[in-house]
This record gives sequence, C-alpha cells and structure tokens, in this order.
Amino acid sequence: MSARARRTTAVVVLISAALTASACAGGSAEEEGDEIVITCATCQESPTDPFLQYNFEAATRFNEQYAGEYRIEMLNNANAGSSEDRLQYYQRLALADDLPDIFQLNSAEIAALSETGKLHDFTGDLDADTAWAGTFQPGSLDALTGDDGQVWAIPQQRDPIGTYWNTELWGSVGFDEFPTTWDAFEEGAAALAEQGELALALDGDWATMLTWTNLIGTQAGGVDFLTGEIAGGGDWSSNEAVVAATERLRQWHVEGYVNSDAFSGDFSNAAAAYLSGDAATVPNGPWFVKTNLQTEAAAEGLYESTGYAVSPGWDDGQGIIVVSGAGWVSGATDEPSQEAVMAFMRFVTAPEEALTQAVETGANPAVVVPDADLESADLEPLSAGLVVAAADAEFSYPHVRVYGPAGFGPAWKNLWPAYVNGEMDTGTFLSRLSADASAGL
Amino acid sequence: MRGPILLSLLPAVVLFSVFFAVPLVVLFGTAFTDWSGAQLAFVGLDNFARLAGDPVFVKVVGNTLFYLAASTLVQVPLGVAVGIVLATKVPGWRAFRTVLFIPFVISGAAYALIFSMFYNPRFGLLNNLLVPLGLPQRDWLYETGTARWAIAGTFVFILGFVIVVTMAEIASIPAELYEAAEVDGATGWQRETRITLPLLRNAIGTCVLVRLLADIGMFDLVFILTAGGPDDTTATLALYAYRAYLNGEWGHANAVGLVILLLGGALIVAVRRAFRVGERDR
Repeated sequence: MSARARRTTAVVVLISAALTASACAGGSAEEEGDEIVITCATCQESPTDPFLQYNFEAATRFNEQYAGEYRIEMLNNANAGSSEDRLQYYQRLALADDLPDIFQLNSAEIAALSETGKLHDFTGDLDADTAWAGTFQPGSLDALTGDDGQVWAIPQQRDPIGTYWNTELWGSVGFDEFPTTWDAFEEGAAALAEQGELALALDGDWATMLTWTNLIGTQAGGVDFLTGEIAGGGDWSSNEAVVAATERLRQWHVEGYVNSDAFSGDFSNAAAAYLSGDAATVPNGPWFVKTNLQTEAAAEGLYESTGYAVSPGWDDGQGIIVVSGAGWVSGATDEPSQEAVMAFMRFVTAPEEALTQAVETGANPAVVVPDADLESADLEPLSAGLVVAAADAEFSYPHVRVYGPAGFGPAWKNLWPAYVNGEMDTGTFLSRLSADASAGL
Repeated sequence: MRGPILLSLLPAVVLFSVFFAVPLVVLFGTAFTDWSGAQLAFVGLDNFARLAGDPVFVKVVGNTLFYLAASTLVQVPLGVAVGIVLATKVPGWRAFRTVLFIPFVISGAAYALIFSMFYNPRFGLLNNLLVPLGLPQRDWLYETGTARWAIAGTFVFILGFVIVVTMAEIASIPAELYEAAEVDGATGWQRETRITLPLLRNAIGTCVLVRLLADIGMFDLVFILTAGGPDDTTATLALYAYRAYLNGEWGHANAVGLVILLLGGALIVAVRRAFRVGERDR
C-alpha cells in the first residue's frame, strides 16, 4: 500500500471511530451555559395518544417556565406508548448505560427494569420533601414500590376503570340501572342475545383481562389474589376464585354474549362493537370518553345514552379496578440530571398541572386536587363520574396487567382463544398461564 | 493498484464485519451460555437440551416446516404455472404480470393488516362470502384448526417473484428447440412438459431456495396476525426466539437462532443438490 493510500485509510478509520464514539455517547446531562438539558423518551407529539400528547405539552410548558435553568430534550421514540416491545427496548438501553433521564412504564415493566439496577430510586427525594410526598393520593405509589420499599416511579394518574354501558340497550331488556350482580348481568345478557345483540364488547387482551379481573376481584379471596399471589408466580389453577371467574368468562363466549372478534388483542375490535351500537357494554378507563366515545367513530347519540358503572359483585359486593400503574421513571445517573428530573416531577405533579392533564386526557390525577379547583375545571362529566363511583365501591384492586408478571399479556393472548374454543380445560389453562406469565421472573 | 482496490473494499468489509460477522460470532458464542445481557455463564449444550425437551419448541419447528412446505408445494408450482402461461404472451400478459407482482412489494406488516380485516369473524370479507352459502362463521385466525392454514393463505398466493424469474428463464430458452418440436409434431402440452419444465430446473431451484430462506425466519406476518397463538399453533422459530429474548433469556434465544441457521444451511445444501442449482444443461 502506498503512503498516500495508508494516509487515506487512517483518515477514514479515524472518522469512523469518531462517528461511532459520538453515536454511542451516553445520556448524561448536557450543560449548555447554565442550562441543564435532560432527555425524555415519552414526551413526543401524538395525534392518537392523548397521554403522549399531554406529556409533550407539559414538557413544553416546563421548558418555557424553566428556560435558561433546565430543558427537556424530547426524543422521538417508537416505543413510547404501551407495547410488548417497550420493556425490551429499555432493557437494551439500560445495558448500554444509556437510559433516558425520564420516561414512563407500567408497574410490571418497572419491576422488571429495576432489576438492571439502572433505575433511579425516588425514596430519598420523597423523604426529603414530605410536603410534596403528602400530595399524592393514598395508595397511588403502591404499585410502583419495590420489594424493599424503593419507589421506582412517580405516578402520573390514579384511574378508576369500570364499565361503560348503553342505557338504551340495557333498558330494552328491563334494566334502568346497570346490573349490580353477575347473575343479573347474565340474565340481561341472555335477553340481549335473544334480541340479536351482544352484551359485552371484548378484545382478547386489555378489555378481556379487565373483565376477568373484575370477576376475580368481586369474590371472596379475589382481592388477595390480585394484590398478592398473582405477582409472585405459583400455580393459579388451585385458586377457587380464579377458577370460577375463568370458567364464567369462558361461558359468556360460548353463550354468544361476547363479540366473535374478541381474540385479536386489538382494543379497536371491542370499541367498534360498542361504538356501533352492537354491544351493550364495554370495560375501559376514563380516557375511553375522549379517545372513542366523543369521536366520529361513535354512533350518533351514543354519548348521551352511555352510563358508567363499577363492576357488578358476586357474593360480597361490587368493586372497581384502580390503576396507578403508569409512572415516570428515571435513568438519570449524575446529580445535575437528577436535579432537573426532580424539578420536572414536581412540576408535572403540581395540582394545577394534574388538573390540566385530567382535562386533556380524561384521566384522574394521582395527587390530591382541591374540590373547588376540580369543580371549576369543569371536567368531562362521564369520566369524572368514575371518581365518585369508585369511592362507593366496596372493593378496589389493580388490573392484572399492572400487578401481574410482565409476561402475563403475551401468555394470555396465546392461551385464551384456545381455552375458550374448548381445546384445554380450566386447570391446564391456568397452570400454563401462570407458568408462561412468570417465565421471565 | 492494489492499494486503491483494497481501500475501495474497506467500507464493505467494515459494514459486513460490524453488522454480520460480529453478530454471527456473538450468536455462536452465546448460544452455549446463560446470558441475560448482564451476566454470562457457559452452560454447554443446556440450551439445546432445553429446546429438545420443550413441547412448544417442537410445535414451532413443525409450524415453520409447515410454512416452508406451503411455499415450496403451493407458491412455487403455482407461480411457475402462471409464469409459463404468461410467457406464451396471452393477451394482456404484461398487465397480469404487473398486477401479480404488486403483492410482492407490499410490506409484510401492511399485508398482515389487510388480512386481519379479511379474516375478521364479525365483519371480514371471507365470512361474509361463506356464511350466506350456509357455512358456519369462523374465527379463522384464532381457532387452532384453521389458524396455520389462514396464515399460510396470506403468503402462498404472492406469486410475483416466482412468475418473474420463470418468465425471465423461459425468455432465455432458444426458440429453435420449440420449432424443432413443432416440426416433430409435439403438442403444446408436450412442448411445455418436455422442453420448458426441464429447462426451468435452475429457475425453480432458485425460487425454492429464495422462498425457503425468506420463510424460515418468518416473523412479521405471524406476529401481527396472531402473535403466535392460539396455543402456539402459528408460532415460528423466529417468534420463539423473540419471546425468549423478551424474557431476558438471550443465550436461549441465540440457541434458537443457531438452530435456524443450521436448518437454513441444511435446506440450502439439499435444494442445491436436488435441483442442481448453478449447473447448466445446455
């Protein structure tokens, strides 16, 4: 090789090395002048996800308020929304010591990611600022707390999740109020089926699991299972509440009370059945109003004829799922980043910002907001009504996807259709579900 | 002169090393380890023993072979047949060729979404065609009896690639062979079966090879349509590896990757030998 060629080769190699090094640079705080810049991987604009859109606007407001002191750089992240790939994506970043300074996860994902040792523990921050710690609603930190008391995330919402029901359809079979027991629900469902209508719109994933959770939670011992046993592995097929709930839900499919496209895992199938007026009931959270019921996809007049109810009870009373699973986590490692992260956490959990979020997304604040402010905020009545309904419910418990093992969702989607189609018995289904869901524990 | 030549190869060598050779070495090395990304411990053949004893793995191998069989036994023969017909320059053959090639350039994800609507039990086109004929409404993608067939049905009719390769090969067959056969009084059927088909051996072998290598790593169609369910009826080797990866069992996932590589290698050797790909008869 000539001297000239060697020089050219050396220059190419040096440029490649420099490019590689810059591409692999970690995510520690960048100081521009006196401004501390941190990264957010869940703050991008989204025309379809009201939570991401809210995060984007909140980060923008934060940047304006703290201009010159702190700034959030919003990363464009395809895994920002809830998805099966999300945990694995952040696990890869954790291994590369390149976690974003702030991003959001649900509690099962938080539990898994905390094992990398790369998540910031907020315990010290909450202990050091008891006034701020006291603003959170009771129980809102529970699902975000580790085995040894570490607080891995700051909650964004605390949402009661119940059931939307079509008052006209249920009225057509003699129900002026939503059924308060599962037996009454089944009577109404049978009557609706006779009229050629569906009682319940499900999707094989989120909404189906909501119904399963409600069926478990409203029985003796069910709450204990949903707040304890489910998270720790073990064989669920010996739990009577779980067996009874599972068989009852399967029977509804067999009887034709549920839409036939209820296995895809795509919530839009459940939403379409309800929004078209074909199904009388759909379980979902308060955001359903803004993202579905108030859109053009809903049949005319459906909003006006939609009511909201907590879950019917079985023997011991009615209940409701309360989710405070989604939380802000932090991968910040250096002090300036952590200082900026805490500034944002305080900003985003301030009552006025929490109210802004409630207005924008329909979700309910994780912090206590003065009643007067709540009234003057003029929140959407249907979703705000969930808070009142939740207060009267006898039981509250987390959704299985929030408190269950991280592998629960894929395992459920794989096994549930085969179980409903009669290809395995209840014991086999629950044994395999618990084993597969816990495989990564 | 050698200097500039070597220099011009450098980018390709660097890219090949970074994106292929290094990952391949990592795959081979870690397939024999218990690796979750952080800690790595050599476990010998444990990952492979675990695979052999896992009924789900046996199932996904069967599913993958089923999809490979669908490609080679349906897609390739059908594509070759259509290619032979179009090569006779039937009226509108150019338009047919273009239309039949379009599905080949649609992304797998978009294709999966189209078919998820087609198979939808409540409002999908398939049930809306069959139910009025008195057939029962089915959930094609979520019944174990139909799910694999429904998945295969999404790709076996993507004939564009096979058609184009077949037509290109036919165009290279000397016209004198057909003229001589005609003089000898051969029928159209005899010309196609005695001249065209034997001379298409190389093209058919190439098509089989390409389809096998494309389908052995099948992931996107299955992931979007059924996520491998119900009860792993549609899961493939690639999806199985992906699940292991999501569970943090990276060593185990890479053992599956190694199985895919070995299976792919064996298929290449078998198909090349069966079709004598690369050898010329004329």
